[in-house]
Amino acid sequence: MKPRRWPLYTVLAFGYAFLYVPVLLLIVYSFNESRLVTVWTGFSTKWYGELLRNQQLLDAAWLSIRIAATNATFAVVLGTLAANALVRHGRFRGRGGFELLLTAPLVMPDVIIGLSLLLLFVAMQQTIGWPDGRGFTTITIAHLTFSMAYVAVVVRARLAQMDRSLEEAAMDLGARPLTVYLRITLPLIAPALLSGWLLAFTLSLDDLVIASFVSGPGSTTLPMVVYSSVRMGVSPQINALATLIVLFVTVAVIVVTLALRGGGGGRAR
Amino acid sequence: MAAPVPNRPVRDRRLSRIVNVGLPYLWLGLFFLLPLGIVLRISLAEPALAQPPYTALWEWLESGMVTIQLNFGNFMLVWADDLYLVAFLNSLRVALVCTLLCLLLGYPMAYAIATAPERWRLLLLMLIVLPFWTSFLIRVYAWIGILKANGFLNNFLLWLGVIDEPLAILHTQVAVYIGVVYSYLPFMILPLYANLTRLDRSLLEAAADLGCRPWRAFLRVTLPLSRAGIIAGSMLVFIPVVGEFVIPDLLGGPRTLMVGGMLWTEFFSNKDWPLAAALAMVLLGLLVVPFVLMQRWQQRAEARGS
Amino acid sequence: MASAIDRRSLEPWQDPQAEPYVRIERVTKKFGDIYAVDDVSLAIFQGEFFSLLGGSGCGKSTLLRLLAGLESPSAGRIHIDGVDVTDIPPYHRPVNMMFQSYALFPHMNVEQNVEFGLKQERMPRRERAERVAEMLDLLKITELRQRQPDQLSGGQRQRAALARSLAKHPKLLLLDEPLGALDKRLREHTQFELVNLQERIGTTFITVTHDQEEAMTMSTRIAVMDAGQIIQVDTPTGIYEYPNSRFVAEFIGSVNLFEGKVMRRDGDEVLVESPLGRSLQMHCPHPLALGTPVAVAVRPEKIKLCMDFRADAVNQIAGVVEDIAYLGDVSIYHVRVGPEKIVTMTLANIQPRTEQALTWGQEVAMEWSPTSGVVLTD
Ligand SMILES: Nc1ncnc2c1ncn2[C@@H]1O[C@H](COP(=O)(O)OP(=O)(O)OP(=O)(O)O)[C@@H](O)[C@H]1O
Ligand SMILES: [Mg+2]
Repeated sequence: MKPRRWPLYTVLAFGYAFLYVPVLLLIVYSFNESRLVTVWTGFSTKWYGELLRNQQLLDAAWLSIRIAATNATFAVVLGTLAANALVRHGRFRGRGGFELLLTAPLVMPDVIIGLSLLLLFVAMQQTIGWPDGRGFTTITIAHLTFSMAYVAVVVRARLAQMDRSLEEAAMDLGARPLTVYLRITLPLIAPALLSGWLLAFTLSLDDLVIASFVSGPGSTTLPMVVYSSVRMGVSPQINALATLIVLFVTVAVIVVTLALRGGGGGRAR
Repeated sequence: MAAPVPNRPVRDRRLSRIVNVGLPYLWLGLFFLLPLGIVLRISLAEPALAQPPYTALWEWLESGMVTIQLNFGNFMLVWADDLYLVAFLNSLRVALVCTLLCLLLGYPMAYAIATAPERWRLLLLMLIVLPFWTSFLIRVYAWIGILKANGFLNNFLLWLGVIDEPLAILHTQVAVYIGVVYSYLPFMILPLYANLTRLDRSLLEAAADLGCRPWRAFLRVTLPLSRAGIIAGSMLVFIPVVGEFVIPDLLGGPRTLMVGGMLWTEFFSNKDWPLAAALAMVLLGLLVVPFVLMQRWQQRAEARGS
Repeated sequence: MASAIDRRSLEPWQDPQAEPYVRIERVTKKFGDIYAVDDVSLAIFQGEFFSLLGGSGCGKSTLLRLLAGLESPSAGRIHIDGVDVTDIPPYHRPVNMMFQSYALFPHMNVEQNVEFGLKQERMPRRERAERVAEMLDLLKITELRQRQPDQLSGGQRQRAALARSLAKHPKLLLLDEPLGALDKRLREHTQFELVNLQERIGTTFITVTHDQEEAMTMSTRIAVMDAGQIIQVDTPTGIYEYPNSRFVAEFIGSVNLFEGKVMRRDGDEVLVESPLGRSLQMHCPHPLALGTPVAVAVRPEKIKLCMDFRADAVNQIAGVVEDIAYLGDVSIYHVRVGPEKIVTMTLANIQPRTEQALTWGQEVAMEWSPTSGVVLTD
């Protein structure tokens, strides 16, 4: 006797509606003519025009993108190293502490990370004179600290499911450990590196709280601009921005998924 | 054949360990652990009109002695002032309620996806992950337009004739609940899904074969076996929500104050860094227990998986 | 004595003067508390096709990985071609391995896979291309050179993996269940190919298998392993005809074991009293004390129908046919000879089935000769 599935699917449908209706409304009303976001008066793309003339917002977006890209690149390096350590170095001394340190940033409230890093930067500036002022560098360091943990999770899963005998075979055929890593391991975990990069990129692009703590005057990121605008109340420009972001993300996710499925990255057997 | 170089592999391995373990360790020690120590230090200082706005914790005297001043006043204040206590309790309540709501909504969804036909699964899962990739801030913002007095929800309900007057939802606790569940639902679904797909389907068939009704098989087999997923998902929601700032700030009101907002205000508006640090320390202390719990379960699940 | 010399060159293990090519000296490998390989010593000679045979988890793969350098021993030394390789890492050993899962690199095509090892030793490009072509040709996969591993069938993958592991002309090739992933038909076909290949190129092969038929077909010698230890090393005939223990006798093929005690010694023959009430007289070259508990092992095909059954004769036993398994060429008969004892006998089906003499429930008498079994003490 088969359990009836329609109650399950009802919940599922409700869940997806819950997740997607707000975003859809956001998109639809980005094309609304009226400044009052919730009252439909007619179709218009004028808010997109205004968005693109909003120099402050564009500057902030450019800064955020630069930070996000730098962060993602370094996060992939550090996160991959950490994943190597966890998967390939067995029970090294201090492993428990290592895992703890690597998991904590995943759940640590942003306010604590932000505050603590700011206090660190202030203390460092006082004692060693670096970082001189806060901005691009401090925000990137702060973002790296939690994004590398996310990358480590993604890469670790991929590494753990990789067939060890591939690396052993390479070694058996005369490849030294570094060669094995570069020629065999890295190509095979490349999809995870790519997802890790994208994840770190979006996490950084999305962060308001931590950046607010560790940024200085003159380095305002996109979420900070959006936040101060949102606090003033709803604004059609933000709707337009949201639409662009959703569009960008959807396309990126679809392209990456198809690319990863279509070949190139070898399957772990 | 190359000449035997017996020490090579040992050296290679040590170098590899220094790089792979050492670098991330160093980074996290420097930019994660050390800052927490500094927070502790500053939570024990006094606020001052200076740059930075707190008193030094120790001073070098001419004689080469060090005086250390510890000021527990900040912690006393946090404990004594009702305002802070209420904020902490409220944070815990919001986190608890929202974790339960996420579980109630997320479990059936994760279960439905995990048991859906193979070809649908990837798509359904992608649809869960996709919102996670779009801006968190903007998704919270979307709810302002929905919940406010002349927002979509009220307009819709008025149009239906269910209500005569707009409901005041925005800037209430309910709005915070909605926002939190909305933002954190994927964090609940993903570990649950991972856990449920790994669940051996033949166990359920065995249970059915032994005469177990589907509903009971679920209660006696599936639910206990998915405990690791439930705990992981719950902790991934609970811990960050306790310290959440953006959602209560944008959707909540004056009566829904949470610790995150409190800390923010003390830091940015009142410029009382030591008090903010003390709040952070208390918050951290509250989260240690669930965090350790999560870590334990994760390691146990891993040990069993390998 | 010409024949003796011949035999020695074909069977170097018979020659005390011969220098072993691979020497494993008292090697032990522990994983935590588990002895995966337990005090193993072995000598393997150049050009051998040597098989490690044993049940799952008995340490065959571990022994192979120790030879490849993928594991390092907890104790003991390993010599290959006169060099102590115990501390040499896998990438410097003159040994190559074919993995159980083949371990073909999924992001490289067949040609690149085969070429990988040659690139590592920085062989010049032209020479490398020649070698790759030679290997692909040797294994008849030249037309598959551009395929990715996931576009190959199981048998093709096996050939590609073999080509890759032979490309560097290793002194020793290790094969971990080389045919394990193939279906039965293909496996039988490939067994012969593998032996032909090995004879052609002359490389020393050490394979791992848990399929006894496979080991019997392919090997010059077989080492039977159990729980990390080597129980017996011998030629396939030796292992089959003269097992040294109950374990080996039962592991290879099927066997009838008659438990008993040594009653009398008579030159090379011993008389064994069995609780079934029968005396068994067997050839036994090594001395055994009277009263030693032993088992007499007789293979089912060595048992014949007895035409002149006598109650007091040796090596005769009577019973009732309980079960018949018809396999086409032969039939296997299970004959109950006592309340707890069933004897298995294989008879060739010379007559068509319908005309067979034996049916269920029939009483039969059976016999065997003193030289068609062995006396086991272990
Ligand atoms: N890396 C390891 N860590 C711990 N134990 C191991 C490891 N590798 C092997 N073992 C253990 O050592 C024993 C021998 O394993 P091995 O793989 O050599 O067996 P095998 O004879 O090849 O078996 P199979 O026929 O199943 O392949 C087993 O008990 C196994 O569990
Ligand atoms: Mg094995």
